[in-house]
Amino acid sequence: MITDTEIKQVQAALPNPATLWVHEVLEPDQFSAAKQPFGRQALSRRTVLLLWGLRVYVVLMVLLVAMQTWNAFHNAQ
Amino acid sequence: MPADFTVEDLKRAGDRRRVHDLRAGKGGARSLKLLWLLIGPGILVMLGENDGPSMISYAQTGASYGVGFFLPFIALTFGMAFVIQEMTVRLGAATKRGHAELIYARFGRFWGFFAMADLVFGNLLTLVTEFIAVRAGLGFFGVPPGIAVLGAFLVVVAVVLTRRYWTWERITLGFAIFNLIFVPVALLAHPVSSQVVRAFFTWGPLPGGVTAGFILLVMSNIGATVTPWMLFFQQSAVVDKGLTTADIRHGRIDTAIGATLAAIAAIATVLATAPLFAHHVDASNLEGAAFAQALVPYVGNVGATLFAIGIFEAGLVAAITISSSSAYAFGEVMGGARSLNSPLREGWLFYAVLIAAAAIAAVLVLIPNAPLVFIVLLVNVIAVLAMPPAIVFLMLLVNDREIMGEHANGPMANFFGITVTILLVLAGLIFGITTIFPHMIPS
Repeated sequence: MITDTEIKQVQAALPNPATLWVHEVLEPDQFSAAKQPFGRQALSRRTVLLLWGLRVYVVLMVLLVAMQTWNAFHNAQ
Repeated sequence: MPADFTVEDLKRAGDRRRVHDLRAGKGGARSLKLLWLLIGPGILVMLGENDGPSMISYAQTGASYGVGFFLPFIALTFGMAFVIQEMTVRLGAATKRGHAELIYARFGRFWGFFAMADLVFGNLLTLVTEFIAVRAGLGFFGVPPGIAVLGAFLVVVAVVLTRRYWTWERITLGFAIFNLIFVPVALLAHPVSSQVVRAFFTWGPLPGGVTAGFILLVMSNIGATVTPWMLFFQQSAVVDKGLTTADIRHGRIDTAIGATLAAIAAIATVLATAPLFAHHVDASNLEGAAFAQALVPYVGNVGATLFAIGIFEAGLVAAITISSSSAYAFGEVMGGARSLNSPLREGWLFYAVLIAAAAIAAVLVLIPNAPLVFIVLLVNVIAVLAMPPAIVFLMLLVNDREIMGEHANGPMANFFGITVTILLVLAGLIFGITTIFPHMIPS
């Protein structure tokens, strides 16, 4: 198995044309260091309301699960 | 064009070159070879979700309701899973970003924090249950819990330290295919084929009707197929594998194969434990290994042994995939390494998070008197409850034409996505109402 060090040595030793294939097979965004950051998406008021609604839903449901957990332990005793 | 590239890029480029060469060449087996190269994330996510609590949930289903309503219901849940997971393939291939990275980038830290909190909490609980499954499965063979858990943890570490996505993926796929071990167990249980066919056409029988136990199993079976970690894992794996928009069709096939295999294994598990229902065996307190022992009179020692191996395998594969999803999300949010191709020097924090997630869960499982069975049942329910917000983030991203371009959702994908979201919210609400008003339905 080729080690990372060996790959680095080969990469350093090879002339640039020999590594052109890397740029040919990977799309620009697939290079780990070259990703351009995406900007923020503007959320509509309706979307924000939906997200808050679902957050409240999750909190309430987690409380219900906690309640059921309490009941299960209480009944088991 | 970037001026330079990293070792991670070089490894990914090596994988992509094989795809490019195949696409450029000719030959009859070319399409099959291409499929072989491009499958992975979809099968892994689906078979990974057939994890410890899921298989125990299917086993409970078969033992409690036999052959009937739940067979088509389970097939439906995998249809739902396919609808959701296919979107992550397009998201990953079109944006080349993982799910956590996209949520933070497009919605900001505030909403990103909530999504991550759901993921971290769910993943930790789920990982605990995977080691419970490992412990239970190997317990059937008399392996002490400490050795079983330590062994599984070491396998997770060994697979990760290959530092090569392709190798990691193929080894994990090799483990995952053992999920189908439940099929021979089902055959050994000698299910009546006419009953199976009738169940799929009539969605019945449903012995005892709608009860609290039935609702819990419905929730548990949904939670066994659609969970937040799957979204994060598959999208990140698609990116790490290097899939592009040209590979979306193969990504869909990969996901469909995964959903089909996972549905077959899940239904086989229900059929395998259905004899317990037919013989009125109380399975309400059976764990993984106890299920295997209870099945001996109906599927023999061979069947019970295969069942125990299946429970062990389910826990092991999910421990690998779920700990990876935590590490991917961590790396994406922190802006550090987020690839299984990363060399140790650059990706040490990524690997440390992955190994630490598995280690914490492994240690928790070994705490004496921990309520392990209860945690198993709880995990799937929590997964269903956390899913609607996760799907809404997914739907917002996959409809975002600025990042998705022509690969954004069409009306049909939105219809199915919204339908699944509504079904999940309804399932959660029914669970909530029956918890607050337990006398509304028979216990």
